Amino acid sequence: MRSIIGIIFGNTRSDLLQGLTQERPIAAVPFGGKFRLLDFALSSLVNSGIRTVGLITPQHYRPVLDHTGAGKDWYLDRKSGGLFILPGAIHGLTGGQSKFPLKDMGLNIEFLEKDVSENVIITYCNQVYNINYHDTLIFHEKKQSDITLIYKESDNPRELEGRTILSLGEGQTVHALEENEAQETSPSLKPYFVDMLIIRRKLLLEIIEGYKTIDTIDLLDSIRENLSILSVFAFLANAYIGRIRSIADYFNRNMDLLDPEICAELLLSKNRIYTKVRDKSPTFYSSTANVRDSLLTCECSIEGEVEHSILSRGVMIKSGAKIKNSILLQKCIIGPDAVLENVILDKFVEIKEGNVLKGSGDNPLVISKKSII
Amino acid sequence: MLKKECIAMLLAGGQGSRLGCLTRNIAKPAVSFGGKYRIIDFSLSNCAHSNIDTVGILTQYKPFILNSYIGTGSAWDLDRASGGVNILPPYMGETEGSWYKGTANAIYQNMNFIDHYDPDYVLVISGDHIYKMNYATLLEFHKEKEADVTLSTLEVPMEDASRFGILSVDEGNRITKFQEKPLRPESNLASMGIYLFSWPVLKKALYEDEMDKNSVHDFGKNVIPALLNQGRKLYAYPFQGYWKDVGTIESYYEANMESLRPQKSINLFDPEFRIYSNDMVQTPHYVGTKAKIENSLISNGCIILGEVSNSILAPGVYVGEESQVKDSILLHHAIIHAKTHIEKAIIGEKTEILSHCQIQPKDKKNSAHSGITVIQDHHIVTEGTVFEAG
Repeated sequence: MRSIIGIIFGNTRSDLLQGLTQERPIAAVPFGGKFRLLDFALSSLVNSGIRTVGLITPQHYRPVLDHTGAGKDWYLDRKSGGLFILPGAIHGLTGGQSKFPLKDMGLNIEFLEKDVSENVIITYCNQVYNINYHDTLIFHEKKQSDITLIYKESDNPRELEGRTILSLGEGQTVHALEENEAQETSPSLKPYFVDMLIIRRKLLLEIIEGYKTIDTIDLLDSIRENLSILSVFAFLANAYIGRIRSIADYFNRNMDLLDPEICAELLLSKNRIYTKVRDKSPTFYSSTANVRDSLLTCECSIEGEVEHSILSRGVMIKSGAKIKNSILLQKCIIGPDAVLENVILDKFVEIKEGNVLKGSGDNPLVISKKSII
Repeated sequence: MLKKECIAMLLAGGQGSRLGCLTRNIAKPAVSFGGKYRIIDFSLSNCAHSNIDTVGILTQYKPFILNSYIGTGSAWDLDRASGGVNILPPYMGETEGSWYKGTANAIYQNMNFIDHYDPDYVLVISGDHIYKMNYATLLEFHKEKEADVTLSTLEVPMEDASRFGILSVDEGNRITKFQEKPLRPESNLASMGIYLFSWPVLKKALYEDEMDKNSVHDFGKNVIPALLNQGRKLYAYPFQGYWKDVGTIESYYEANMESLRPQKSINLFDPEFRIYSNDMVQTPHYVGTKAKIENSLISNGCIILGEVSNSILAPGVYVGEESQVKDSILLHHAIIHAKTHIEKAIIGEKTEILSHCQIQPKDKKNSAHSGITVIQDHHIVTEGTVFEAG
C-alpha cells in the first residue's frame, strides 16, 4: 500500500482520565494488561499495509518514545518509510477540544511534503479497535472521493455523546457534519464519525496552507466549511470500536476484553495488535493461587485470589489477598490478605497487608502511580 | 571487516536423538523450554550479556525451524552489519564438501568464517545446555592464566561423574588429566562442553585432527586429549551455578519442572541477566471462570478454561473446559480440548488432543522422572484416546 501513509494524533490533552494521564499522554495510557492505547491505532495501520506513520505527540512525549522506540516492534524500523515522531504544537486552553488541529500538522509539514503517496489516513488515539483499512481504501478510490470519513451507526445516546453526526445522501455522500447536541434517545440509527478518515495528501497540504493564519482550526472545521466544493463520502465500519473518554470508559473498555467475542476480535484475530516486546518471564501461579475470569500479563507472581480483573506485567499478589473487578497496572504489589474491589491501580502501587480498598461499580477508585497504602 | 577480539561458534547441529519425538521435526536447540523460551535462548543470551557480538551457529539436522527462529538475531541484539549472528550449514566447495563429521570437523570446515574476523580467541559452545554465564569472566581467566585452552568445569556428584568428561587439575587449575566418561573417575570436575581457545592454537589443532584418520573429529574425544598430550596449557575455569544438559526426555522434564521452583534452579525472573527470546506472542493470557491454576508457569497468549497444576504452558496453549493438565509440559500452541485428562506428559507444538482423552502414567507410584508420555508436534490425538505409561 505505497499509496497511503498514516498520521495518528496522539497529543490529546485529556484531563478526563484523572490520575492516569497525569504524567502521560493519552496515547501512552496502558490498556488490556500488555498494551498502550496507541498500539491499537498503530497496529491497525501496519496491518493494513501502511509502512509510513507519523505520530503526533504532545510536548511531554517521553513515555510515547520510550514505548515505540524506532518502531521495530511494529515493523516500522525500516529504510523505506517507517515511524516518524512528530512533536505537536503547544496548545493553549482553547485548543483542548480539537481532535485534529491543523497547527500540529503544519508544524510537521515536511512529513507530508516529502512523501509521494496519494492518500493520508488520519486517526485519533483514544479508541480501542482492530481494523483493516483495505476495504475503506478501495471504497475511497472507487468513489474518487477527496475525503472518506469512517462512521458507525447507533441510537444509543451514550455512544453518540460528543460524536460528530453525519448527514448522508445518496451513494454515501456527506451533506453535513454536526456536533451531537441531543441527549434524548433518537428514534433511528444515526451515523456518527469515528474519528478516522482518508484524505488526498495534496488536498490536505492545500488545506493546511490555506488556513495557516488561523491558529486554532481543526481539520473537521475546515472540511465542514468547504463541504460544498469537496467530494466527501462516508464508509461504514463494522467493527468494535471502544472509545475512552473517562475513567468509567477506561474501566469498562478494559473489562470488555473479558468478553470472549470482543477479545477474539481485538486480540485473537489474524491481525495482531503489536506492542513493545519485553522479554519477561512467564507468570507463576503458586499452589495457593485462585484466579478466575481474568486476563494476566507476563512476569506476575500469583499467590492469592483474582477474579474478573486485568493485570499488567510484574504484578505480585501475595497469599490471602483478594482482587475483584479491578485493573492493576505494572509491578503493583498487593500484600497478604489485602482486599481490592472496583479499583484501578497505576504502576508501582503497593498495598500493604490486610488493607481494604473498594470503589463502586460506576465509580472505580483510582490510585496514582507509586502510591503506598 | 573489523577485527574481533573473541567470536563464538555455537554447535547446534545435533539431532538430539535421545529426545525422541520432540526432535523428530526440529533440531534440539530449537526445542521449547521453561514456557516461552527455546533451549538456544540461553547460549545466545549469554553471548549478548558477554559482549560477544559475532556468533557462528553450526546447523545440520533439520534446521528450518531453528534458522527461522534465529532470524537476523535481533532478539539477542545480534543483528549487526559487521559480525552478528551467522547460520553456518554444511556446504559444497569447488572440489569437495561434506556433512559435518563431528564437532571439530564442523568448526574445521568453517575456518574461513573465523579467519574473516581475525579473532584472538574463539569460544566453542553448544546450543543445548541450560545455564547462565558471562563469558567475559571466562575470557579474563583465560588471559590471566595465559592459557592455550580454557575449559569451563562444574562440580558434579561423584556418582554421576561417569557420565561426563572428567578433568583432574592442580592447585593452579591447570588440567593434568582428562577422562572421557570414565568407569573410575579421578575427580568430580566435569567438562561442560564450553571451550575457549586462543585461535592460533585451535587452528593448528583442527588441521592436525583433520589429518588424523583414526579421529572421530570430536572436541571431547579427540581435540582436547590431543592438546593435553602435546603439553599445551589447558586450564579449568570453575563455574558456579545451575547447568543442565537437557539431552534426554528425563533430564528435559526434570529441568523444566525445576524452573517451577525459582530458588533452586535457574532464576528465570532475574532481571539482571535476562534471557532473551524471539517471542512472537505478546497477548496477555486469559483464565476462564471455571479455571483453576496452581503451581504452574503460564506464558503469553494462553487460554485456560480448565484445571492446570504443576505444569508449564508455552505461549498460545489452549486448555478446554473440564480438562485437567497435571505435571505436564505443553509446548507452543498445543490445544487440549474439553474433558481431557493429561498427566505427566509432554505435548508437542501445535498438537491437538481432542476431547475425552486420557493420558497418564501407568503406575502412579513411579519415580519422579519416569512414566512420561511424549506426544510429537503437529499431531492430532483423536477423541477418546487413552494412553498409559511412558
